[in-house]
This record gives sequence, structure tokens and C-alpha cells, in this order.
Amino acid sequence: MLGNEAVARGAWEAGVHVAAAYPGTPSTEIVTSLARYEGVYAEWSTNEKVAYEVAFGASMGGARALTAMKSAGASVAADPLITSVYTGVNGGLVVCLAGDPGMASGMTEQDDRYFGRMSSMPMLEPADSQECYDFVKLAFELSETYDVPVMVRLSIQTAHQKSIVRVGERQAVERKPPHRKTEKYSLLPRFSRPMHRSLIERFERLTGYAEATAASGELARVEPGAALPGSEGSGWVPLAEGGHTRIGVVAAGAACISAKEALPGAALLKLGMIHPLPVEAVRRFAATVDRLFVVEELEPYLEEQLLAAGISCEGKRWFPQWGELTPVRVGRGFVEAGLDLPRWAEEKAAEDDSVIPRPPVLCTGCPHRGMARAMKKLDLDVHGDIGCYDLTTLPPVEHMHSAFEMGASIPIEQGFTRAGGGEHGGSIAVIGDSTFLHSGITGLLNAVHQRTNVTVLIQDNRITAMTGGQTNPHNERTLAGVDTKPVDLAAICRALGVEHVAVVDPYDYQACLDALKAGLAFDGPAVIITNRPCMLFPSKAAGLGAFAVDEELCNACQLCMSLGCPSLHHVEATHKGRHKVAIDTDTCAGCSLCEQLCGTGAIRRVDASDPEGA
Amino acid sequence: MSAAHTATGEAAARHYAGGAVDDIMVVGVGGQGVIVAAAVIADTAMLHGGLEVKLSETRGMSQRGGSVSSHIRVGERVVAPSISPGEVDYLLAFEAAEGLRVAPSLTPGGVAIVNTQQIVPPLASTGIAYPFDAVERLAAGHAHVTPVDGNAVAEGIGDVKVAGIVLVGALAVHLPFAVETWERALERNVPPKWLEMNFAAFAAGRKIGAGDGA
Repeated sequence: MLGNEAVARGAWEAGVHVAAAYPGTPSTEIVTSLARYEGVYAEWSTNEKVAYEVAFGASMGGARALTAMKSAGASVAADPLITSVYTGVNGGLVVCLAGDPGMASGMTEQDDRYFGRMSSMPMLEPADSQECYDFVKLAFELSETYDVPVMVRLSIQTAHQKSIVRVGERQAVERKPPHRKTEKYSLLPRFSRPMHRSLIERFERLTGYAEATAASGELARVEPGAALPGSEGSGWVPLAEGGHTRIGVVAAGAACISAKEALPGAALLKLGMIHPLPVEAVRRFAATVDRLFVVEELEPYLEEQLLAAGISCEGKRWFPQWGELTPVRVGRGFVEAGLDLPRWAEEKAAEDDSVIPRPPVLCTGCPHRGMARAMKKLDLDVHGDIGCYDLTTLPPVEHMHSAFEMGASIPIEQGFTRAGGGEHGGSIAVIGDSTFLHSGITGLLNAVHQRTNVTVLIQDNRITAMTGGQTNPHNERTLAGVDTKPVDLAAICRALGVEHVAVVDPYDYQACLDALKAGLAFDGPAVIITNRPCMLFPSKAAGLGAFAVDEELCNACQLCMSLGCPSLHHVEATHKGRHKVAIDTDTCAGCSLCEQLCGTGAIRRVDASDPEGA
Repeated sequence: MSAAHTATGEAAARHYAGGAVDDIMVVGVGGQGVIVAAAVIADTAMLHGGLEVKLSETRGMSQRGGSVSSHIRVGERVVAPSISPGEVDYLLAFEAAEGLRVAPSLTPGGVAIVNTQQIVPPLASTGIAYPFDAVERLAAGHAHVTPVDGNAVAEGIGDVKVAGIVLVGALAVHLPFAVETWERALERNVPPKWLEMNFAAFAAGRKIGAGDGA
């Protein structure tokens, strides 16, 4: 099972009734999987804060509930996240927070463990799929026992690896009587002051729990390490300068797996609970070794707490504070620290960097492409949001100049305009349907209220595409399979007070150019909405009839290649030293943008099976 | 390390008893079927029984034409799910340049099965050269490289979509698992109506793999 699937299985067995999330790599599969189980209500909420609050409300209502998010999602949901630790729960509430050290898909690699520390929310950190399953079940128990939401902290390595899980059956968990306790759930100062004192007291009891389960080996486990040939026994590791020394490693989660792979000879204290930290257990372990290493990804979260407790240890001095800590990076750190480890002695390349990079690109027929090219043509300052349209930030399209965080594009454009920006062809905010509904609406409302003259392009593809095609309020069906009323984006914009709202076909290049110009020329906030669906989701779209290039007519001008379409490629034949172009008719979706750009008439439709009859 | 042409349970037991871990990497371009192929390999090792199998899923956006890679580690005891640089025993490359990209990760005796298909990324239009000689460069640097025209073989069988399973078949001759186990893994990962075609692709791949003399 994938780590995320194991989380879902564990939650289901623990009797979870409500699961709410906004999709975000690497957390998405948790709720996707949960939606398939009987007896669970699962939803894609409009954003992470809403999801958190839905899950919290379910807990208040007496059900066991779960929410899941990526790092950036925790920032969005930080308000209810922190507040809910004060109030505590009724039904168990589990918060799965999946970080992305190495930024395979995240915008930052923030260290999510500080959310636990800041809020006093207890945190469990699994290292493989079995622990994902076990820890989620435990998290529900702890949540109800200690009257607090419990975080299961994942990283992309744990969430997206597959390993074997021994599963059980679903527990019959009765819904608790719903709470109607004003003093518990109302954050008025007279209530929240005692709440904080109660939280400190609950946390002290949790610290006792962390120490007790570490001493018993339940949640923190000492592994003696392999006895290396020629050493004095397990835990002894050879030194580069000669001789052996007793090495101990403290780690949790994915970093723990990397440390074990890198240095099987060391004694290992594997932590399951990382907040509160069982400091006394670490102190006892430290006394059994000559050198204690802390292996952790990103910030010195464990290291600083151990040093503050007077436990001598080495960590960030040897292991990088950025990126994923793979076994090789941990191994190299140990070598730097003076250990004799032949496997990691040499630095080895994983890849040949001279081979042309292959970043993900917009699909053939993607509805975002026409506008991207049109904005480039008009030389606009383009402020993007978070979505597939960011993929054309890179060459060959290169039309976008910022991609910040969800919902940011519209307010950023307002500030940029207020600063007097837009010296190029003008400036524009670009946002997708899902992101607009996530947190773009309030930004647009602000522009209307402040009379800030901004132009906003909603690249509407009617799905949350980048994370793999999750539903949003612009769809006809919910994750739970219920038919619903899709929101009308144009009507929302008009209702907010936007007086210029234009809907345009993104396959019509001239219409894209005209719509942009009209929006930019309008005096007041203007919105342009594209109206073609995603090519991949909810199901792979049928093409409109493929095109082909007449090699004789092609003058290798490269205009079509500037679209960055994966169905277009160079052929050996050249004209004036530039390669001519061919179209892969098997994959061409027939959007016709290349035909519209071609000045020689070399590109023609060859497949007549055009459902639109164009 | 390789060449267990007549795979049996005992062969696998002998192979892994000494603590050996097979590190298998599958690379390609998003949409080529890398994920399914990796699942078939991992499931085969799992169905074989008695082995620890870890798979780390691709990073990034697998369906949008970017580089995709999947790591599978098999042994009696496997710790990390990802393969460390320079330790790939078996490389399955669905696209020639993607194979060349990760070639430094092969062990000196490593086996590479490389699809000769070439997919030129849009970035090539900016002037960065695509390595049309990727297969030759791979073969020049490594002893055990089997080029396979997986797409042509698959088209011959009936659908270019089974090209990946042709490559899996060519890899299978190097791994100590029985043909029946591979077929059971295919059953788990392929819709029933496509199963016969996948069996045929797997068998065709095995023939190509065995002919290499690795």
C-alpha cells in the first residue's frame, strides 16, 4: 500500500465518519482513498481552512473525523488548526499533514513540525506504510483520551512509497453525543484563557505518555544496529582515523529510514511521537553511545530541543538543512563526520545532467495554451497563481512572471498596479477555476471595493487538474457522488461588482488576443474567463481531429514551436538552418492553435473525425 | 546478479539468501505506462512470497510529459524505498534519452533494457540538443544493454500501448521469478479484456531478452 492509502485504511478501521480536504500533493490520495470506503463521508472542500473546519465540526458533532493537507494547506488552515487545540474535541480528530522536503511539487519546503510545536498539537511521525496505518489508529485513540486533535506528520517519501501493511477490520465506533458546550467551543477571552491553561495541563499529561511509551518501547524503539565485521559488536562503527566508536542515531519518519540504510551499524533510537518529545528516553539512549547524531530533514527541530535539554548531539553540522535526506546524503554526512563508510566514500552522480531536461508540459490540446501564447504576444506582466498554467513559465512559452501561492495572483496584481507597474504591454492576474474558488474571490472583491483597475484571467478548465483531477464547486458531481449545482463563475464575478466579464474560447487565438486587449482597456476591474475543459480530467478528452505539416510549405519559422505543444517536434529537414516541424498525428488533439499561427498554410487538418465539424 | 533464465523458487531463494537486494529502476516519459510496469514488477516480487518489496512512486506530474521514474527494491530485507546513486542493478528505460539520463546510476555490471523509441521534448525547440544517439551512447558505456523496439513489437501484437509490457518481458529473463508469477501480477494490473494481449507482449519481450545472451 501507498503510505497515503495506509493512512486511509487505518482511519477507516478506526471508524472515521467524516473526511474533508482540499487536494494537495503529497497528501491527496488520503481522501481519494477514504472516499472509496463504505460508511465514510468524504469531500473535496473549497480550501484547506474550510476542510479543517468541516472536520472539526464533525468532531464537535460526535463523529471521528479526519482532514489532510500539504504544507501550504496547513498555512491556509492555520487559524482553525491552532484554535482547535485550545478547544479540544468530541469525536477523535486527526490532522494528516504531508510535507515535501525536496519540493517535488511544493512551493516551499517548510518544516511542518513547527505547526505542532506552535499549537501544542501532539504529533506522530510514521516511517513506512505499516506505521501510517498503525499511527492513524492510535491518533484517534489519543485524540479522544487527551481531548486534543492529533497530527500525523508525513513526508513525501512516506506518503508516496509502497510497502506491505497487515490490515484488520473496521471498528464499530458509535457517534458520541454531540457537544453543546458554549464554554468549550467559544473562543471568547473569558473561555479561552482557561482553555490555554487546560491545554498546558493536557500537554503535560501527553509528555508523560510520550516518556512512558518510549520507555516501554511502544512508540520509541531502540534498535541496537548490525554488528559490522571487525567491530566490537553492534553499535560500533569504524572511524576513518582508525579504531571504532559507539554511534547512536536519533531519528523519526523518512529520515529514520535513510539513516538505517546509510549506517546500519549504528544504534538507532527511532521516535514515533515527535511532539511532545520523550527527552528523557533520548537522554538514556545518549548515555549508551560515544557520539549521538540527530538525522532529520529540514530544520534542526529535534536537535535544538535536545541541546536545550543538555543532551550533547550532532546534526545540522553534517546533514543539509534543505532538500530530501536520501540515504546517500545521510551517508555523505557521516563520512564528513569522520566515519569510515566505503559505500558512501565517493560522491556518485545519479543522473547525466547533460541530457536535455524534460519538465512536465501542458498537454496537447490543453485549454491554457492559447491564452499563454496570447499574453506572451502582448508582452504582459503576468502574475500567475497555482495551477497547470504555471508549466508555461519555462521556455519555450515563458509568458508568466510570478507564481506565488493560492489566491495570491489577484491581490498581487492590485499591489503591482498601485505601485504603477505594467510598463510592458500591461499587466494581468491569471488564476484557475479551482484556485479562484479556493481563495481568489475575496481578492477580486477587494479590487472591486477599492476601485483598483485590474484585469483578471480565469483559466477555467472545470476541474482541479494539477493534483490529478479532483472535483471543485464548478463541477456537476461531488466526491461523494452526489449531483450538485455547478457555480457560475461569470455570475459570481458580476455579483461581486465586476462590470466587464467576457467568456472566450481559448482555442481561438485571435479571440484570446481581442479579449485580453478589451479587458486591459476597460476602466475598472475586468475578468476574462476561458471555456474549454481539461484534456485529462475527468476523463481523457476526445480530439477534434489531428493536424499535419506539409513539409514542402513549412519555412521553419518556429512560430508553432513557441506553443510548447508535445505533439509538435522538429524533423531533420531544415530551411535556412532551422529545423522544419512535424505533428504527431496520434497524439494531436486538434486544438488548431498551430494552424492559426502558421503563416504559410503548411498546417492542415488531416483527420476529418471532427465532432465539432470545424 | 542476472541471468536466471530458468527461474524457480529455489533459484530466487539462493539469489536473495546472501542478503542481496535487487535495485530496479523504471524510467520514461509521463503517459508511457511507467507506473503500471513498476507495479507489475513489484507485484511479481511480492506474489513470489517471502521477500520484502518496496516501491517509491514517481515524483512530479506523471501525466504531463515530464520525466518519470519509479524505484523497486527487492530482497529478504529492504530498508529504504529509493535506490541510491550508482546502485541500479536493472534499468528499464521506456524512452532512450531517459535511459541515458539515469545511466550513471547503473552498477558496473548493471543490465539495461532500453526502448529505442525517442520522444523529443518541446524544450528542444529552444536549441538544447536532444540525444538522438542515446541508445548507442548507453551501449558504449555499459556491457549489458538490450535495445528493444518495444513500440514496433507492440504494434505487431495489436496495440502500441503494450510496449511497456514487452520491455517488462525482456527484463523478466534476468530476474528469478517464474513466468506464472509474472502472469499473475499482470492479471492484477491489467483490465481483463487486455490480458491476452499483455501476455503476448510479455512473451515477445522474454524472447528478445533471452536472445541477448546477457
